[in-house]
Amino acid sequence: MISDEVKKKIRAVVGKENALDSDLDRFGYSYDSSFLALLPASLPDMVVRPLTTEEVSAIMVIANEHEIPVTARGAASGRTGGSVPLKGGICLSLDRMKRIIELDERNMMVTAEAGVRTIDLYNHCAAKGLFFPPDPASWKMSTIGGNVAENAGGMRAVKYGVTGDYVMGLEVVMADGTVLTTGGKAIKNVTGYDLSSLFVGSEGTLGIVTQALFKLIPMPKKRGTIQVMFRALDDGCATINAMLQENVVPAAAEIMDKTSLDAVARLRKMDLAPDIEACVVIEIDGEDQADLDSQTKRIKAVAEKCGALSFRVAKTEAESEELWAIRRTMSSAVSALAPNRIGEDISVPRSEFPEVVRRIRKISEKHKLTIAVFGHAGDGNLHPSVLCDLKDPESAERAHHAVDDIFDAALAVGGTLSGEHGIGITKQPYIVKAIGESGVKVSKALKQAFDPKGILNPGKIW
Amino acid sequence: MDRHIEEWQQQLVKCVRCGTCRAVCPVFKITDNENTTARGKVKLIEAVTDGKLELTREMQKRLDKCLLCEACSVGCPAGVKTDELFMSARRALADNNGISYIKKIIYTGMTYRSLFNLALRLGSVFQSLLFRDAPDKKGRFSRIPLPAAGLNKRRLFPALAKMPLASLVPKVNKVSNPRARVAFFPGCMMNYVYTDSGRAVIDILLANDVEVVIPDNLYCCGIMVAASGDYGTARHLAERNVAALSSDNYDAIITGCASCGATLKHKYGLVIDDPAVRQKWEKISEKVFDFTQYLTAKGYSREFADTGVKITYHDPCHLVRGMKVSKEPRAVLKSIPGVELAEMKDANKCCGCGGTFSATHYDISRAINEEKIDNVEKTGAEVLLTGCSGCRMHLSDGLSRRGSKMTVMHTAEFIAKAYAAKKEQGRLNQ
Repeated sequence: MISDEVKKKIRAVVGKENALDSDLDRFGYSYDSSFLALLPASLPDMVVRPLTTEEVSAIMVIANEHEIPVTARGAASGRTGGSVPLKGGICLSLDRMKRIIELDERNMMVTAEAGVRTIDLYNHCAAKGLFFPPDPASWKMSTIGGNVAENAGGMRAVKYGVTGDYVMGLEVVMADGTVLTTGGKAIKNVTGYDLSSLFVGSEGTLGIVTQALFKLIPMPKKRGTIQVMFRALDDGCATINAMLQENVVPAAAEIMDKTSLDAVARLRKMDLAPDIEACVVIEIDGEDQADLDSQTKRIKAVAEKCGALSFRVAKTEAESEELWAIRRTMSSAVSALAPNRIGEDISVPRSEFPEVVRRIRKISEKHKLTIAVFGHAGDGNLHPSVLCDLKDPESAERAHHAVDDIFDAALAVGGTLSGEHGIGITKQPYIVKAIGESGVKVSKALKQAFDPKGILNPGKIW
Repeated sequence: MDRHIEEWQQQLVKCVRCGTCRAVCPVFKITDNENTTARGKVKLIEAVTDGKLELTREMQKRLDKCLLCEACSVGCPAGVKTDELFMSARRALADNNGISYIKKIIYTGMTYRSLFNLALRLGSVFQSLLFRDAPDKKGRFSRIPLPAAGLNKRRLFPALAKMPLASLVPKVNKVSNPRARVAFFPGCMMNYVYTDSGRAVIDILLANDVEVVIPDNLYCCGIMVAASGDYGTARHLAERNVAALSSDNYDAIITGCASCGATLKHKYGLVIDDPAVRQKWEKISEKVFDFTQYLTAKGYSREFADTGVKITYHDPCHLVRGMKVSKEPRAVLKSIPGVELAEMKDANKCCGCGGTFSATHYDISRAINEEKIDNVEKTGAEVLLTGCSGCRMHLSDGLSRRGSKMTVMHTAEFIAKAYAAKKEQGRLNQ
């Protein structure tokens, strides 16, 4: 609960139209894109919508003084409950902080506020021939602050890495309202701790990221799309591994298993040859058509050696769109198979991709649940989708056991709980298994140092 | 009530809260408030079905903050029919709380055809008491601000026509060798305000040897009424229009208004209950075409004069998403010699009008329109065309506020002028 007196102070900072406390207004800020139940709602006591870093700082001073929980929120497109205000208090909605502050073409860097949408940042840079590569599937609505706080990845990670790989510096408002600026435009920088990296993936538990400075790269001039069908998932994985070993690094390499393909085929009314068990969609990029042709030739040779059934190169933009549409419609196609889909996000060493999929098959049989597997085979990050009915307690229980087993499988092959979604609330029970007691202890010590009163996004990660 | 809940649940279970609607919602872009997104509204409705929230007036205000532009519905990866869900929720909210008095009086008046006709004709005589002409004569400004009716002193309104279209043209417009015989549904805006564009649709059809009938006893299509949740009145209007349009076996039913077209073709399915009426409507629905759709499907005369003008085209929501018509008007326009079509950025994004939304939420509506006008102006076009009278009104208002010289016209007027000019040239050459 926030007292009327404190609410008055908050309103004085952001204006009353940006400090919402009616039941209906608060309800809209109680959820994210995870499978957590909508009800009972995790309502914030107040939704606060600052416009500037100074306002964020002033709000944190008030919150710290009165020990009010503060949960930062961008687009709430997160998948693990990171922005859900679990303990009430203030939902700090950063939607209004959407200025792109500077595009420094000479240094190839861009500075943006937390509420800037990923797609808007991409387009802003692309207009000057510069490339901001991180492309989470939610890039059309997700915002930069959330991308940094969850260290968002995407399909291009295999070649270009994840959000954290582009962070050069951050502006962070600390729990007590102090404004901290980390990093800078100097490329080499070992002046003290790498503070920026502490906040990357910290899920709003260490500070409120208000601005980010990213490095950019030149925009690739040409892009091409290839679709390869295989009679076994192992053949697809083998192709991707062999490509990378031969130094043909695709901009994206996505794999889909039989269950996923059947779901898309049903949705898009396509016919699939009965012997197809896996599909790989590859994006390549380069300087010119000759560069793409040479990469295509090398990929084709590798794919054929690995037993590809078919090899299709998109000739037009429209054909390329069509090939990608299979991957893009995957989530909705698979979702249509059951009332609920728990889309998990595990990450394993690339070599273990086929092994973890084999283990997931066994988990699917054991719990009598369909589990579709698709994901970023190029970087070992996969999204097993457990299909279930969460309103049916028996199905829900089996689903949760299946998820437990999937995490065990990932850890058993040397992988981890999350590639790009974070831990939030939904993966909390597994954190000790993944990082160990010592990992949790050090994390908690860090948290204590940054946020002694424990007001920043309480109840998350561990 | 229970029937609503069941209907809603079918949509609600599909929403996975991904938030894709945030990327496309024009209202969210202006307000930056989750509660204005489709996801926000869908979740409010879900809480109602679970008994955690109630259908209060506050809830009604939330559901009213939507243009029904259908961008979220078309873009939803999970296929949630948000527009239908929100209309149904507005209906339940209207049943519970009623709608504003002004809306109620106007909507009831609409079901009395002669009264509605008389009111608008008297309106055309007395409108100068309420409105003054804009200096460029492109429309009128309100003399008195009447926020409840959406009258803002700085808002440009089109003048009401002195005579409605139905009294200006014959009921049956004949041609010597008719290829087809169609009914034309002009709708309120073309009948009472933009009669020139209604006449243009008729002229275009005549130029293509199509006989055009304006059936008796047509009423307002009812979209505004249904969108406000007053399904009772909307049903009355739908039933009467279905009766009027099935009184004769027309080859097609032509609309020149995006909203009327989408309503006759699809939305009546939401409001009609009676199975016998529904059966009749289904037959009509198949025959409803936007005039550009009809031209491109059936072939059309290319007897156009060389125009030599740079144009740009705005896709009305009810045409591009409501009727899936966007290539057709462009195809016809591009077939006119000398036309240079300069596409604007985000041509298919809502102009911000949203029918009564522009009256009840003028500030948001205007802010959305400003971005649209920016995109329009960047094309450097001389003429802005669109296929919806609502869009036309709102775009004219936006341009007038900037003192822009650009002409806004209905697509039909431009096409009809190109036919007429060619005919005129022919006459001069003889």
